[in-house]
Amino acid sequence: MDVLINLTVNGLATGMLIFLLAVGLSLIFGLMDVLNFAHGALFAWGAYAGVWVYAQTESFIIGIIGALLTGAILGLLLEKFIVQPVYGNHIQQILITLGVMLVLSELLKVVWGPNQIATVTPEFLQGSWMLDSGVIIIKYRLFIIAVGLLIFLGLHLLLKKTKLGLIVRAGVMDKEMVQALGINIRKVFMFVFMLGSALAALGGMLLGPYSGVIHANMGFEFGILAFIVVVIGGMGSVSGSAFAAILVGLSGSFMAYYFPALSLAVNMLLMVAVLIIRPTGLFAAKG
Amino acid sequence: MIKNVSKYKIITYLIIAYLIALPFVSDSRSTLLLLTQVFIFAIFAMSYDLLLGYTGIVSFGHAMFFGIGAYTTGVYMKDISSSLGSYFISVALGMLFAAIVSFLVGILSLRLKSHFYAMLTLAFAGLFLVLAEKWRTVTRGNDGFTFNVPEVMYDRVVFYFIVFAAMIGVYLLLKRFTSSPLGHVLQATRENEQRTESLGYNVLTYRVISSVVAGMLAAFSGSLYVITLRFVNTSVFATEVTLNALLMTIIGGVGTLVGAIIGAGLFEFAHHWLSDLAKVHWIFERWIILFGTLYILIVMFLPYGVVGTFRKWRFDRSVKKQVKLIEKVNDNKSV
Repeated sequence: MDVLINLTVNGLATGMLIFLLAVGLSLIFGLMDVLNFAHGALFAWGAYAGVWVYAQTESFIIGIIGALLTGAILGLLLEKFIVQPVYGNHIQQILITLGVMLVLSELLKVVWGPNQIATVTPEFLQGSWMLDSGVIIIKYRLFIIAVGLLIFLGLHLLLKKTKLGLIVRAGVMDKEMVQALGINIRKVFMFVFMLGSALAALGGMLLGPYSGVIHANMGFEFGILAFIVVVIGGMGSVSGSAFAAILVGLSGSFMAYYFPALSLAVNMLLMVAVLIIRPTGLFAAKG
Repeated sequence: MIKNVSKYKIITYLIIAYLIALPFVSDSRSTLLLLTQVFIFAIFAMSYDLLLGYTGIVSFGHAMFFGIGAYTTGVYMKDISSSLGSYFISVALGMLFAAIVSFLVGILSLRLKSHFYAMLTLAFAGLFLVLAEKWRTVTRGNDGFTFNVPEVMYDRVVFYFIVFAAMIGVYLLLKRFTSSPLGHVLQATRENEQRTESLGYNVLTYRVISSVVAGMLAAFSGSLYVITLRFVNTSVFATEVTLNALLMTIIGGVGTLVGAIIGAGLFEFAHHWLSDLAKVHWIFERWIILFGTLYILIVMFLPYGVVGTFRKWRFDRSVKKQVKLIEKVNDNKSV
């Protein structure tokens, strides 16, 4: 029983981190039809910048703000200078964002060095709770789950209750129509791109204390996981991303415990199965 | 016009003659090795260009065919025999495996849109990487293994010529393939899928054929590659391998086979020189930054790559010349 609870908490925490990364990717794709291969690099940049600010200021909260800002600024630059010229051309989008990923992940090594960087859990999140049954719950993991849930609820409210959300949802359904109604869809694109990038950076930042170290290749590693999640969940759907991220997180943590040999392949197999049966994903925003 | 064409033909023959004469005039081993590497990756890049340039599909899993070829040859040389005959068997086997895998992956995934196809191939290549790491009895895991190569191929000069001939052979083959009716259908599906479909061609079938041919040639280059190293490990399945082919193709010019060769040359030489410069300044160790930036700029501003842009320039110039000629004739008439 202890093991089950532990694995579930682990899986949920990982799932939430992947959700933060995947939801931006999913919205960007759903709205703008751009598959951003550089998204994983934003995740890594968020982690490095956030952890650096955290180490300088010794405040975890300021670190998080630093990561969010880094993500948003990089997202803005990326959208303006790289993605805008190639709207509408799928192959060029794939190629160009891939190039950005290469450059950004190498630049990371120039700025912070090629070695991995150790990160500590902030004081108020250290330690763990002991439940009556003897189950140990690590505080930081619960914190990640809480943050993930908050972001999910926040996005849900933003998309379902605000005018901006209405525009975004309408944009995912039919871009031309929204534009024809006199709304500047370019600005909405830019906002969603910045929001998605900031969330990815937040995910990277939170991963630091969770895994203890951050390294330059994490962008690529988690980037692939995020793609898998987006494909399983369906492009453009927040709930789909959340569901698929939790599925991937849980299956990863359970497989690593019960069938270690399969754990690396399980996500890919999941994705292959979903793509073959439902090429648009389980919760695709487009009917 | 005819004079122009022959000028470029003469240059091509001169380059070929130079490459043939090179081992006899220069005894720089490193140049020879570098060129051998260039030829092998040129084969790989040409096979990638068949997908990207001629069929218009972006695959992120091309490394898996390279790896299949590499491992088939490596394992065969190590566990069965390392004679020249068995090298040919191992190449044939590797190409056969690659054909089977690319056929299966193709019929499963080629009906998807370009984005999804790219991701799915990435996932399949990832599965092969995991397989190579876990199936230790055959692949000896992550560390890889060394093996003997056929005696003839021990001589670097001989191997240089073998690879050079292989590259020319693959070039001629692909040239023939892409200008055949089948190749034209591929290019039609690249330009307009619906129209090709409505003309009665089954787009999926043609795409599968293209990916099987590309997969087999990639496996061939993989089995040549491991001979140069006499060693194989799981890095042959790494995503970097696919990315390198992608960069070579883009830089040289998509849809031009010569571009793939030139791209491979530029890429390998740039890698070599810039890594050498790392002794001068550490920033050159991060040569990928320079290269990545160049690549982004090329995708943005030179979407036809080096060779494509050159051809366009030549075409524009010849059009201008003809226009001038016509004007001149008209002028004379009016006079």
